[in-house]
Amino acid sequence: MEGRILDHPILNFTRKKRVKIFFEGNEIEAYEGETVAVALHAAGIKVLRYTPINGRSAGLFCAVGKCSSCLMEIDGMPNVRSCMTKVKAGMQIRRQHEKGDLV
Amino acid sequence: MMKHASVVVIGGGIVGSAIAFSLLKMKTKNVCVIEKSYVSSGSTGRCAGGIRQQWSSPMNVKLAMRSVKLFEEFEKDVGMNIEYYQGGYLLLAYTDSEVDDFEKNVRMQKSQGLDVEILTSNQIKEKFPFINVEDIKLGSWCQSDGHANPQLANIAYAIAIRKMGGEFLTHTTVTGIDVQNRQIIGVQTDNGYISTKIVVDAAGFEAPKIGSMIGVDIPVHGERHQILVTEAVNHFLDPLVINFNHNYYVRQTHHGSLMMGQGDANPASGEDLGNTIEFLEEMSEKMIKDFPLLKNIHIVRQWSGAYDMSPDAQPIIDESKDISRFIYATGFSGHGFMLAPAVGESVAEMIIHGQTVTTDVSNLKMDRFTIGIEREHNVV
Repeated sequence: MEGRILDHPILNFTRKKRVKIFFEGNEIEAYEGETVAVALHAAGIKVLRYTPINGRSAGLFCAVGKCSSCLMEIDGMPNVRSCMTKVKAGMQIRRQHEKGDLV
Repeated sequence: MMKHASVVVIGGGIVGSAIAFSLLKMKTKNVCVIEKSYVSSGSTGRCAGGIRQQWSSPMNVKLAMRSVKLFEEFEKDVGMNIEYYQGGYLLLAYTDSEVDDFEKNVRMQKSQGLDVEILTSNQIKEKFPFINVEDIKLGSWCQSDGHANPQLANIAYAIAIRKMGGEFLTHTTVTGIDVQNRQIIGVQTDNGYISTKIVVDAAGFEAPKIGSMIGVDIPVHGERHQILVTEAVNHFLDPLVINFNHNYYVRQTHHGSLMMGQGDANPASGEDLGNTIEFLEEMSEKMIKDFPLLKNIHIVRQWSGAYDMSPDAQPIIDESKDISRFIYATGFSGHGFMLAPAVGESVAEMIIHGQTVTTDVSNLKMDRFTIGIEREHNVV
């Protein structure tokens, strides 16, 4: 099912260019201008990472870059806020486990 | 609040708490700690938590080694896990004079029985491949050095003091000390009066304020130092790394965040606990150069704390010549936390026996300032 709002009573959404991104190696469609979290949400992906200590699933919470709930590994970099990061063609996105590795 | 105390300790930071804990452990009754704010509100709660034994004078090395022994026993002795981690300390040398100093210090430290060694630049690269070793001549490495969480340690002591029957007063300010014929008779606070014959001044950079109440001059002043902390990442950095040449230290906390600080070029007074954007810029720039893997890490926050600086950057632990049984332990100059357990033990012994038994701290007496001082070099 399409997770995007297609018809809004007040606002008009103009779609930008369609791009391909990769979630856990699988291709997903996204639109330029969207954040990673939104593209994943639209594709039905709700679990974005696992909490470091108890390994519980965590997903989108504040959606404005404050809460750390949506941290993901994007293009090899851990702790990226997927709700604040815009999609780019070819982006490799992975769910984050633990606190993320620098080395 | 007790009406009479055998000893009143002024200052509930790590030093005052360690002293009170040691007194109680040595079976002294009616020990009272007076803290003007909450536990760990002062320099202890702002401290980076490094615990090292690599010092430039034999007595400082001995004192630090005793402290490490007590940190190793801390959880059993005091009753709390304080995230103590013996991941080592790595000191980096960039100049010929640093190389000479390090080699001389390591020889001396070894003669004191410390497990310390010189690492070549290649050995550093091998051990810690993420450090940029460009221009590093050598390093000084001690595995039994480490770090812990100072706030937890302070809280652990406060809880233990109360459990052992001591009094730990918070939010209580000392307003005066009563003296008659050079003998202490009591301490006045904003919450009441406590009669006592023995007072320990462990008020950190504010120790001179307490001394001045009874005409005792303590040559200590507060100097602001800043720290920043990053987001948490998986553990990768075992040691606390000190770079005197680039003027910083860095460690990874148990939580995974990286905590780092420097000595500012023109530090503000300890009364001013603000912080600056310049600090963030300076730290970031040099850390990215020496630890390139940190280039994308987020800074979470910054804060500052006061070093209680003495004229030679070494502690002052002594009993006043003018006022009987007025003892002070201050001037730790940024390394009070790491020495606290051993200092607590030494000061408790001074109070009970009139002299130290376990560790000699006579190099830290006040009269050294009239005899002539040798500054401790290994300070950031």
